[in-house]
Amino acid sequence: MSRRVAIGGLLVLLAAWPWIAPRYFIYLASLVAVNAIVAIGLNLLSGYTNQLSFGHAGFLAIGAYTAALLAMHARSIPVPVALLIAGIVTGLVGILLGVPCLRLEGLYLTMATLAFGFVVTEAILNLDGLTHGADGLRVPPAPLGRWQLASDTSRYYLTAAVALVMVVLAVNVARTRTGRAFLAIRESEIAAQTSGVNVALYKTVAFAISAFYTGVAGGLFAFVVGYLSPDAFDLVLSVDFVTMIIVGGLGSVPGSIVGALVVTFLHDWLAAFQNYRPLIFGAVMVLVMLFLPGGLASAFPRGATR
Amino acid sequence: MRSMPAVIAAVLLTLAVVTPVAAQPGVTDTEIVIGCSNSFSGPLAFTGEQATKFGVDLYARVVNDAGGIHGRKVRTVYYDDGYRPQDAAANTKKLIEQDGVFAIIAPQGTPPVMATLEYLEQNKVPLLFPFQGSPVTRARKYVFSGMTLYDRQSKMMIDYLVGPRKYKSFAVLYQDDEYGKSFLTSFEKDLGRHQLKLVAAEPVKRGVTDVSAQIAKLQAVKPEVTFLVLTPGPGAQALKERQKIGWNDTIMVSSGPLTDERYLALAGPAAEAVEGLALWPDPLTSDLPGVKAYREHMARYFPKNEPNRYSLSGYVAGMLFAEGARRAGRNLTRDGLVAALESVKGFQTGILPPLTIGGDHETQKQGFWVRVEKGRFKQLTDWLKSE
Repeated sequence: MSRRVAIGGLLVLLAAWPWIAPRYFIYLASLVAVNAIVAIGLNLLSGYTNQLSFGHAGFLAIGAYTAALLAMHARSIPVPVALLIAGIVTGLVGILLGVPCLRLEGLYLTMATLAFGFVVTEAILNLDGLTHGADGLRVPPAPLGRWQLASDTSRYYLTAAVALVMVVLAVNVARTRTGRAFLAIRESEIAAQTSGVNVALYKTVAFAISAFYTGVAGGLFAFVVGYLSPDAFDLVLSVDFVTMIIVGGLGSVPGSIVGALVVTFLHDWLAAFQNYRPLIFGAVMVLVMLFLPGGLASAFPRGATR
Repeated sequence: MRSMPAVIAAVLLTLAVVTPVAAQPGVTDTEIVIGCSNSFSGPLAFTGEQATKFGVDLYARVVNDAGGIHGRKVRTVYYDDGYRPQDAAANTKKLIEQDGVFAIIAPQGTPPVMATLEYLEQNKVPLLFPFQGSPVTRARKYVFSGMTLYDRQSKMMIDYLVGPRKYKSFAVLYQDDEYGKSFLTSFEKDLGRHQLKLVAAEPVKRGVTDVSAQIAKLQAVKPEVTFLVLTPGPGAQALKERQKIGWNDTIMVSSGPLTDERYLALAGPAAEAVEGLALWPDPLTSDLPGVKAYREHMARYFPKNEPNRYSLSGYVAGMLFAEGARRAGRNLTRDGLVAALESVKGFQTGILPPLTIGGDHETQKQGFWVRVEKGRFKQLTDWLKSE
């Protein structure tokens, strides 16, 4: 009962946010929603299936550029469809990356995903006929039927609505056979295989779903920020995503959201002294790993976090 | 507080309540707040820090110690974007909506500045003297350019080399982005006026340091002049490569943004006799009255910081802002500042030639010719014309 009240309260707060928060915080909330979707996607791969990725900025870039190019050249496509396409394109790339990564474990997998992030930014730089290379791309407002989502508030509602859908989907995926297969792979690949889980298939599925989530988030990112350049998707961003799921809690959907919330606001508060940012983020990560190995999500009573 | 959603709701509510709402446009009885998002980390951190914290701030200290502008002290706020456009956009929103700055001054780089242009124009916030020269900032009501725009630089370079120096064949080694391509199209246009054409143009992708293939190709066409439109790393590499293969029958000429001390230091002896367009007088040796004053102020307020052209550019930006704000009068508004800056005529900085801004919103329009002698830029001409 109290749980339903809490969820209802949260929904009301999300809906009312643009009317009670200062303008800048509407924008920041959109960024939190974008990051939360990425964190959930990354968590499905890294937290549930134990495949750590340091290349999610690359997936975000693919989704962002796909949605931006659609908005520029095919304005009749409404934004939800454009986001879906961005997610599917990125998901396909995820499968392409996932298949060779099947043979890699631990550190080697991390290296491969790290390299993937760099390959994507290089590709954006070199496909300059399409992406405008290093100069970047101004993203037009998202088209939705006869409307243009040109204000902070409209963009907030778009991101919040999409994030809500993605959260519900993730919670449900985690409860299905697929979700249980992911967890089995995390606990022990050999045991999972012995129990009849097709490890290769489910690892590839995890990559695809994770990339799909990040691609959709990338599309939203393009519209929220309004300007893309390869500089946006550097290693720092990939590390930020990993920080979100470690701080929030590996293998937890609410944890991903809390992680995105904390890291986005921390990033914003540290804007005046970014030289200390890696130090502070590193310290936070070490402290969380030492004292809250399950992330902030584990600090709350069991059952509350599913 | 039994469940996670409740916790999230509580956190959000606290943030909404705790955060102060700033609605003032940055002007109070006692101060004027200005600022920008710039690179304080990442590849252009040195340039960003010098232009703002040791440039704009240096002039702000000078003004404030002299009593401020109509009794108001200048205060600055800066945030780091590390050259990432999304952070530049976020920081700029934060400056306008949270800190309530009056104007944005001296941000850096084409992508981060581009990411904020529309937003600032929509919100009618002046964007003053960005440290970039792409003509994308032209024809906007609230934007005033800083650095001499690339097409003007091209005009000065071509007119000088074709005119008094009587050269006829030109080639370009350019960075394959907005910076390089702006120059490339301008070179073609300006050579066209003299019935000339570029004999070769070789692109360099950003981040690439090996330019040997391009240098070999350019050598094969034997141009009298080879323009370098690059950043210091690849620019210095081009000079070293040319020295290595013994290509001596061309004059290498650096673009305005490349003609700086870092390029010189990286190239070492390979830079000897190289020419270029300089946008700033030598910050260390020039005896122009304004540059001397700049060095004195630097020694007084930031004695540990060496003079350089980036802090000099920020210092001039601060000086121009102060002049605009002074002209706008005690009743300072954003539109008033724009009108005041447009009225600036023949303003003496003691550093640059007299500045007239006017309706085109361009502040610097000139440069002069230099040649490297014994590791320093030696001035060869007076300020060249770009009108």
